[in-house]
Amino acid sequence: MQVTLKIFRYDPEKDKKPHYDAFKMEAEPTDRVLDLLEKAKGYQDGTISFRRSCAHGVCGSDAMRINGMNRLACKTLVQDLGVNKITVEPILGLPILKDLIVDMEPFFDNYRAVTPYFINDEPAPAKERLQSPEDRERFDDTTKCILCGACTTSCPSFWANDQYLGPSAIVNAHRFIFDSRDKGAAERLAVLNDLFGVYRCHTIFNCTLACPREIQITQAIGEVKKAIATGKLD
Amino acid sequence: MRSRTVPQRGLNFEYLMWLFTRLSGLGMYILALVGVVSALVMGARTQMDMATLMRWTFMPNPSHVASSDIVNLDAWANAFWQIMGMLIVFFAGTHGLNGLRVVIEDYIGSTWLRPVLRGLIFLIWLFMIIVAVYVILAS
Repeated sequence: MQVTLKIFRYDPEKDKKPHYDAFKMEAEPTDRVLDLLEKAKGYQDGTISFRRSCAHGVCGSDAMRINGMNRLACKTLVQDLGVNKITVEPILGLPILKDLIVDMEPFFDNYRAVTPYFINDEPAPAKERLQSPEDRERFDDTTKCILCGACTTSCPSFWANDQYLGPSAIVNAHRFIFDSRDKGAAERLAVLNDLFGVYRCHTIFNCTLACPREIQITQAIGEVKKAIATGKLD
Repeated sequence: MRSRTVPQRGLNFEYLMWLFTRLSGLGMYILALVGVVSALVMGARTQMDMATLMRWTFMPNPSHVASSDIVNLDAWANAFWQIMGMLIVFFAGTHGLNGLRVVIEDYIGSTWLRPVLRGLIFLIWLFMIIVAVYVILAS
C-alpha cells in the first residue's frame, strides 16, 4: 500500500519555526511506524532526527505523537492506524531539540524527585529479602514502566506546568511505595503530598490511554492519593 | 499480608482542600436531601410548585416559601434552617471557588499573577460568605 508520512520538522539552527515534510512510500500493513521513519531517513532525507534504540517496545526511546496519540513508533503498525496518511510529531510539553527529539531532562528531573529506587537501611539478610507472591502482586502493574514519557506528555496538567511531577514519576513512586521490602514510603509520599504532587491529577485518564505498557496509571495515582489520606500501604 | 503504614504525613493546605472537596461534595447531597425531604413533609407536596421546591432544596430560605401556597411560615423560618442555609452556602461556595483555585494552580505558572488571583479568589469567597450570612440572618 502507498502511505504518506508527514513528519514534524524543526532544526533550531536553521528554522525560524517548525514545519512538516511529507514522504510518500510503499509500506506493508504490518510495517511499524518506526520502519516508515527508518525508510524515510534511509532513502529520502538523512537529516530526519528521531530517537530509537531497541525497536521492540522495551527501551522507551521512540515515544511520539502518531496521528495525535502518544504511542511508541516501534509498537504501532500501519494497519492499526487504519489510514494511509500518517502524521508524526514530537511528544508535547517538553522542549524540542530537533524534529522528533525532545529534551527529556525536565521529565527525568521529576522522576528523580520521587527517589525511584529501593530504600531500606536495615541490614540485608544472608541470602535475599523475601517477599510473598501477594506482596509482589501489589505493585506488579507499575513495575512495567519503561520511562518512555508517553503518559506524562499526554497530561494537560503537565503541559500547563512541568513542575507537576506527572504520571510517570508517580507510577515509579508507586512501584516502591507499595513494595513491602521498601522503607522509603514516607519520604516519597511527602514529595507527592504537595502542590505539584498528586493534586494536579484530575483523573482525565489521558495517561492510561497513552501508556504503551497498558499500566493502569490513573488507578495507581488514586492509590497513592489514598495512601496519603489513610496512611495505609496495603 | 502484614499491614504497612506510614506514621507521619504532613497535613498541608493542598491535602486538606482535596479532602474538603470530596467531603463537601458528599455533604451537599446530604443537605439537599434533608432540605427536599423536610419540605415535602412540611407540606410542599400539595402547596408548592416544583421550581419553588428546588429553590428551597438548594437554599432553604423562608423568602422562597413566601411565593408558595404555604400560609404558616413558622416551620420554615427558624434557626435550624438558617444553619442549614449557611452550611449549604459554605460548602457550595468553598467547593466551587476552590475548584477555581485548582484551575489557577494548574494553569498559572510561578508568576506574580498566581498570588494575585489566589488573593482575589479568597476575597470573593469572603465577600460571598459575609453577604450570604447577612441575607440568611436578615430574612
